[in-house]
Amino acid sequence: MTFRTGLFLGGLVVTLVLTFLFLLTPIAALLLQVPPRDLPGLLRDTAVSSALIVSLKTNLIANVLFLSIGTPAAYLIALGRFRGRPVLLTLIELPLVLPPAVAGIALLTAFGAFGLFGSTLAGLGIVLPFTQAAVVVAVTFVAAPFYLRAAISAFAALDRTQLDAARDLGASEAMVFRRIALPLAADALRAGWAMAFARGIGEFGATLLFAGSVARLTETLPLAVYAQLDVNLDSAVAVGLLLLAISGGVLLVAKLPPLWSSAAPSSTAGGW
Amino acid sequence: MAAIPRLTSRLRIAVTAPATVWLRGAAQSHTWNRLSGGGDRPRHLDLATLARLRLIPLVGFVVAALAVPVTASATTIYAASSLSKVVPSIAPGNTYSFAGSDTLAFQIENGAPADVFLSAAPLYAERLHSKGLCSTPVVFALNTLTFVTPASNPAGITRVQQLDRPGGYRLAVGGKHVPLGIYTRTLLGKLGLGRALTKNTVSSYQKASDVTSVIALGSADAGVVYTTDWYANTTKLLAIPVPASAQPLIRYEACVVMRPGSDTTAANAVIARLSSLAGRQALFNAHFGLPPKT
Repeated sequence: MTFRTGLFLGGLVVTLVLTFLFLLTPIAALLLQVPPRDLPGLLRDTAVSSALIVSLKTNLIANVLFLSIGTPAAYLIALGRFRGRPVLLTLIELPLVLPPAVAGIALLTAFGAFGLFGSTLAGLGIVLPFTQAAVVVAVTFVAAPFYLRAAISAFAALDRTQLDAARDLGASEAMVFRRIALPLAADALRAGWAMAFARGIGEFGATLLFAGSVARLTETLPLAVYAQLDVNLDSAVAVGLLLLAISGGVLLVAKLPPLWSSAAPSSTAGGW
Repeated sequence: MAAIPRLTSRLRIAVTAPATVWLRGAAQSHTWNRLSGGGDRPRHLDLATLARLRLIPLVGFVVAALAVPVTASATTIYAASSLSKVVPSIAPGNTYSFAGSDTLAFQIENGAPADVFLSAAPLYAERLHSKGLCSTPVVFALNTLTFVTPASNPAGITRVQQLDRPGGYRLAVGGKHVPLGIYTRTLLGKLGLGRALTKNTVSSYQKASDVTSVIALGSADAGVVYTTDWYANTTKLLAIPVPASAQPLIRYEACVVMRPGSDTTAANAVIARLSSLAGRQALFNAHFGLPPKT
């Protein structure tokens, strides 16, 4: 190894260390703020448990929604050949660049009482603001683009000759999607879902403005953190750590090889 | 990424040329090829690309820019968000940070570089004072509360007493630990509507401006806001009269933040301006109440 190369590799290691120090120091400081043995006591608050239930329930529904609708939609965008594809891809990413509070106002102007569809929804007896349905809408709106982006990339990266081979062997389009495309893209889809989940469970701004912060109804964990800041910093930190544990757990699980399925289908000759 | 080479084009001649040569040398080195998998297999990090993008000098430039110490010339004023329109007109040319008083107090307690603290409630200024973090607070403005509905008043609320019906309305109020929320609870208590916040669907916000927005956008049927916030949104909010006897005493307090390096002379001048004739006139025009002249 020449001196120059050594210098360069050393530089790379330094940037890696800096990156980790910068990103992890605040998280480590959070852990130091509250002694771990105090955590159970701080989390036993009924406000925390009800916020946890609201968060888990609304996120579960939101995730089911964007997985079931987003996955086929992403498949079509990734493999379809049509004009205006770049525009469509950009449009899907737009909610990502909206500041959360603006996302909340956008949802209100669309589905709020005075919004575009406010009177239509009211006519159907649907009032979204201050309901859990509104939390689901807010979470889906901000989290789905993360999943869609990942899913489109995953499907676009598929080897089309494998899909064509399945078609040549007589598989229907639905079968190609279900038996070839989905299993091959599974790892990337799971990673994309984990990112979307983490974004959704931490959602704050859009939920606050669109769904409000009604105790036991729309107060999610991130909203509870903010409300607790005024009362008890330690309790806010404890809720924050709970959120971190949930998201961190999901992100980690998504990276581990799945236990429930056999080895990734490297050969597409699985019998059908 | 194409913008990056353009951005640094001036630096490129001086810095990039040797760096590029250096990087290309490294990229071609046998050691690196072996480390990164070598041969024709795809590399994890294509150094030639990195060099072509001139990222190295860009990173250097950013680090250099960050290393230059920031010199704060103007006075930094941390003020309650309900003051965001009026105070800059009284004391222009300063650096402002507007947020809920509780958030600002929390930031100052954690070493934020504030010189002046303008609190929407005595609680926070006095908390900082008792901790030795700011001077003796002085009252410089007063406010009242207004019960409001969206301008179209979809729920048809004409009297505050209507809130006493079980399960009736969607209300937006300040959180129970922020000034607006504390005042709102005092107001409702004095009106004998202490249970209104359990009988209706109540959404709590930490920022006064969020309460105003949510009602103006029609998410809530009604709510309680600062009178000055109502005056700023009269086209979107309808005021429902509240007996003056039920009004809580709302005092805005100013204090000079005591921290190493704070500019107390300039900070005192800002507070003096707020209490000056011009300052009082501007506060009055913005519909704030005024404390007795000292």
